[in-house]
Amino acid sequence: MGIISAIFFSNSKTVFMSTFDIKTFQGLIFKLQEYWAQQGCVIIQPLDLEVGAGTFHPMTFLRSIGPEPMSSAYVQPCRRPTDGRYGENPNRLQHYYQFQVVLKPSPINIQELYLNSLKELGIDPLVHDIRFVEDNWESPTLGAWGLGWEIWLNGMEISQFTYFQQVGGLECAPVTGEITYGLERLAMYIQNVDSIYDLVWTDGPLGKVLYGDVFHQNEVEQSAYNFEHANVEALFTQFDVCESESAKLIELGLALPAYEQVMKASHAFNLLDARHAISVTERQRYILRVRTLAKACAQAYYDKRQALGFPMCKTNKVEDK
Amino acid sequence: MSTNTLLIEIGTEELPPKALTKLATAFYHSICEQLNAASLSYSEAKWFASPRRLAVMVTALEQQQADKSVEKRGPAVNVAFDADGNATKAAQGWARSNGITVEQADRLTTDKGEWLLHKAIKPGQAVADLVPAMVRIALTKLPIPKPMRWGDSRIQFIRPVHTITMMFGADVIAGEILGVQSNNLLKGHRFHHQGDVVLDHADNYAEVLKQAYVIADFASRRQTIVDDVNAAAQAMNATALLDDELLDEVAGINEWPSVLVGSFDQGFLHVPAEPLIYSMKDHQKYFPAVDRNGQLLAKFIFVTNIESKDPQQIIHGNEKVIRPRLADAEFFFKTDKKQTLKSRLVSLDNVLFQKQLGTLKAKSERIADLSKHVAETLGADANNAYRAGLLSKTDLMTDMVLEFPQVQGTMGKYYAENDGEVSAVAQALEDQYRPRFSGDTLPEGVIGSSVAIADKVDTLVGIFGINQAPKGDKDPFALRRAAIGLIRIIIEKQLNLDITDLLAVSIASYGTKLINNNTAEDVIDFIMGRFRAYYQEQGISVDVIQAVLANKPTAPLDFDQRVKAVTHFRSLDEAQALAAANKRVGNILAKFDGELFNEFNLELASEPAELALAQAYSALNSELTPLFANKDYQQALTKLASLRAPVDEFFDNVMVMADDEAVKTNRLTLLSQLRASFFNVADISLLQ
Repeated sequence: MGIISAIFFSNSKTVFMSTFDIKTFQGLIFKLQEYWAQQGCVIIQPLDLEVGAGTFHPMTFLRSIGPEPMSSAYVQPCRRPTDGRYGENPNRLQHYYQFQVVLKPSPINIQELYLNSLKELGIDPLVHDIRFVEDNWESPTLGAWGLGWEIWLNGMEISQFTYFQQVGGLECAPVTGEITYGLERLAMYIQNVDSIYDLVWTDGPLGKVLYGDVFHQNEVEQSAYNFEHANVEALFTQFDVCESESAKLIELGLALPAYEQVMKASHAFNLLDARHAISVTERQRYILRVRTLAKACAQAYYDKRQALGFPMCKTNKVEDK
Repeated sequence: MSTNTLLIEIGTEELPPKALTKLATAFYHSICEQLNAASLSYSEAKWFASPRRLAVMVTALEQQQADKSVEKRGPAVNVAFDADGNATKAAQGWARSNGITVEQADRLTTDKGEWLLHKAIKPGQAVADLVPAMVRIALTKLPIPKPMRWGDSRIQFIRPVHTITMMFGADVIAGEILGVQSNNLLKGHRFHHQGDVVLDHADNYAEVLKQAYVIADFASRRQTIVDDVNAAAQAMNATALLDDELLDEVAGINEWPSVLVGSFDQGFLHVPAEPLIYSMKDHQKYFPAVDRNGQLLAKFIFVTNIESKDPQQIIHGNEKVIRPRLADAEFFFKTDKKQTLKSRLVSLDNVLFQKQLGTLKAKSERIADLSKHVAETLGADANNAYRAGLLSKTDLMTDMVLEFPQVQGTMGKYYAENDGEVSAVAQALEDQYRPRFSGDTLPEGVIGSSVAIADKVDTLVGIFGINQAPKGDKDPFALRRAAIGLIRIIIEKQLNLDITDLLAVSIASYGTKLINNNTAEDVIDFIMGRFRAYYQEQGISVDVIQAVLANKPTAPLDFDQRVKAVTHFRSLDEAQALAAANKRVGNILAKFDGELFNEFNLELASEPAELALAQAYSALNSELTPLFANKDYQQALTKLASLRAPVDEFFDNVMVMADDEAVKTNRLTLLSQLRASFFNVADISLLQ
């Protein structure tokens, strides 16, 4: 899928009438990528690490730190081991997709840009009830918080919308606006199906493929791994190793690899959580350990960008228009 | 003086609905205060609030302040001129600062001397010149829970600001507020109106917005919702469950409300109503509906922000959202019932009540013991109380309560019934959290009361015991609510309990965990403070409460009887004089450092008024003893009131501080006994 979208957008200056079938899961993704590319976003590919949310991607977490502008959009597979249901629940997955848009600084018309993306998906706001419902976001592991909304479509949450105020313990200036689409939910709505597994992934010349065809077995087996077979001892060790590696890399001023270790530690923690290996009291302590690392990475990243003279601030964006 | 209408609107992105009215009224109050302070009169001020705007309208506002004459006093004349009669530097400086010369200054002569004086007319300022600063001040004073920044601006507000509209009549008041230049343009409904709404005159604010599909007035929008929801309920022979908080919230997330009705599968009605209602209200902001018998219907009434071209699609969408939520509740109810509450007790060992105080299992065991003690004291079934206490927190481990925390206790009741627990025990599981808020119902049964009391005492003792008493607004364990609840249950259910006794049992149950050696005293003092709040809310005058508090009665019923007795006493003619006399006695005794006699000695008495008081008091004393024994405080105080005449006579005619040391001590002894009799009930000297 990554390859296909790369081909589509290899010539982003060309304005073309898209023929994406938004009634398919992949068509929906293509449409969103096209729309946000047209708004000027860098279309990035998913991060190749296990993360719990698109926010973890360095394009969001690290790039929202410091004064440099950066706007991007990308699909991010998310893993939430405790949400696994062995493929039996039509609404819950331990592996699912988010479509993440980050705009820095947040433009004053960011809400309109978002609403226009829904119109592009064929959602008429004079037929459907679209609402911005207060929802303030806080990530204790990332030392981050922001204010914003859940977006409701006829009572269903389809997106989250956040103005980042703090990330990695650092104040966001300028502010990054983050929009996260829950792709499966949105697709279920557009395709009018009651089970994730019934979503049409594609319906092309080679036949129809469903979400269940692609991912059902994965849900069953990964749930078994998350809940039953993940090696607790090894995960604890892994957490400790990631922690010390990250600390060492921070000392060396290598913010990006240090941050990768944070994400790995965070995922190990999530797996331990799914294995019920961490007591209520311990839980808080582990979250604190991850946060300490995340904050140090944020600071190291900021320091490095500062040392480089915040190069993205010097880019004249108007030049090539 | 010409007048006109002032309109100020702050146009924003969607504001937090629960804070909306508080923000709008704070804005309105500040603008009104500032207009008043600026001596600008007006006929009426009104606030508006919707998801995307806060506004204030002021009608018949004076266009300009009246000119004001001001007088500024300068240096004294003897300082203003030197020996040669030339103006000093001080005088010149003062004159310059007022824009005049020393020669132009007037003189102010009083009996204390003569000063330079500057009389001037301060011209009144126009509304248009004053308003922008007033708006800025009002906005900085808003109670914003969490201010935010956006874009690359350093400006902070509730949510990003898009428009500032300030008009006086048909004229725009120019000004920059929160980084936005004011004009006469508003935003209409997000979807029903395209482009800007032009406001031609401040008077037309609500009207032009209505044309643009926005009901700007919060109260009328809320009323529209109430009326339409009720009408929708009536149409299906039902009653909507309206609650004020939800109505405020729904009115806060809609600008053009439109009411629709959805349904869900009848089968879900086998699940207890509470979690279903919670799902509908708290998650989805729906209004549930009940039939004539109060039975929940498989319907929900909800409010949308648009007049949809195809409402069926919105209904269908919402039905699709609520279905899995109700299915969750049904699933939890089914699976939770497979495991008894009793068997869940062990899992509470993994849940902390508080780090220093241990787990919820330990808390449950303490609650069980204390509930048993309370039930025994009250003559209720101690075994049931123990059992209910032990099970009290087990429903926290059920999936239903993990998912819907608001139904804690209630689900405990249902699951206990399912487990075959006796009904008093099941009911107690629900009762333990009562009263949950101000004005809430009390526990139904005595077992429920026992557990509710035990839970609250246990929390108070534990948290005070580790020195984490509430400070200011910070009361994370809701100890104030717990203490008020404790007082209410004991007084209003007429329970014969003494807090001191409950605290002793509770403190002992914590073993060595408590580090505060004054836990009992600290909790008592805290509870005394709640008594004050409890009675003040009932309109009991503060001096009565203080008179009783002086005595620190630790049995709430006893406290209550004293409050009633003192309130009655205060209404008697004799009260004021006796209060004054008690105060006087108190002052005299405070200065006396000798030792009083055990008894008043008749032989030392010489004055008739002294003898008369002693006899009257002694006669009364035999009547008082049984009254105090029976805690008949009202009767006792009424009897004591009869001493007013002899007390007055005594103070009018007897010299207390006699030269003879024995005579003096004897008189003080009489007064001290008298005061002690009153103090048996309360410190009467504190009555005003």
